[in-house]
Amino acid sequence: MDRAELEREIEQLHGSSFGWALSCCGRNRDDAEEVLQDVYVKILDGKARFDGRSSLKTWLFAVIRRTAAGQARRRFVREVLTAKWARNDEAPITPEAAAQDSQRSTTLLAAVQRLAKRQREVLELVFYHDLTIEEAAEAMQVSIGSARVHYHRGKKQLLAQLNGRLSP
Amino acid sequence: MNDASLRDAFAELRAQETARAPRFDRLWRPPAARRPLVAWAFAVMVLIVASLMLWPHHSEKPSITAWHAPTDFLLATPGRELLQSTPDLGGYRR
Repeated sequence: MDRAELEREIEQLHGSSFGWALSCCGRNRDDAEEVLQDVYVKILDGKARFDGRSSLKTWLFAVIRRTAAGQARRRFVREVLTAKWARNDEAPITPEAAAQDSQRSTTLLAAVQRLAKRQREVLELVFYHDLTIEEAAEAMQVSIGSARVHYHRGKKQLLAQLNGRLSP
Repeated sequence: MNDASLRDAFAELRAQETARAPRFDRLWRPPAARRPLVAWAFAVMVLIVASLMLWPHHSEKPSITAWHAPTDFLLATPGRELLQSTPDLGGYRR
């Protein structure tokens, strides 16, 4: 795949990639943008290379997940060093953004946030990004068996939490 | 509540979030295009350091004929003037 073709395909996945970056960054928009930009720079610099062993989407999602994890680790160290963790520095949700989100999405997000990290990841990859469990396992870099277990347990918990709370 | 309604709810969330995604070309930029300010700042810094290093060489050098060693005074020994002139031996006989 040449550079122009890769760019075109990545551009098509941009919205979805941003959604996944948001998910990997706890829905913090600034962090998600930073992660996605880092991912694109890695690709442009050749530090992340698509070798065609999986679909472009699962490869890209795996890079986003790894980059977000690395950035979260660096942020944690920085915050510990500056004792920032003692304060509540979560990025505020702007009124505009909150107004744009429907009640249904807010309820869904709140329920998803209560799940364990792996369960949340596999459910978002399957339901939000339309990946199969096998592709989700690849993006999460876990075995298919493990992804299946997280998927079933997570879905059961999510459905129990949402039962009757999601109005159509 | 089943898989289909869960999928619908996630699709709605996806539509809201991806609509607010930043423009692709704002994030997809080669590092050189992304960091012109860093390059400029680096160039200015190099210029400042270079001019500071070269600054002493701009002052005028003293001429070699006008130069005196700082230890010249050690040569001004007592009776030095006797050694600087030839003795007049004929004057003694007279």
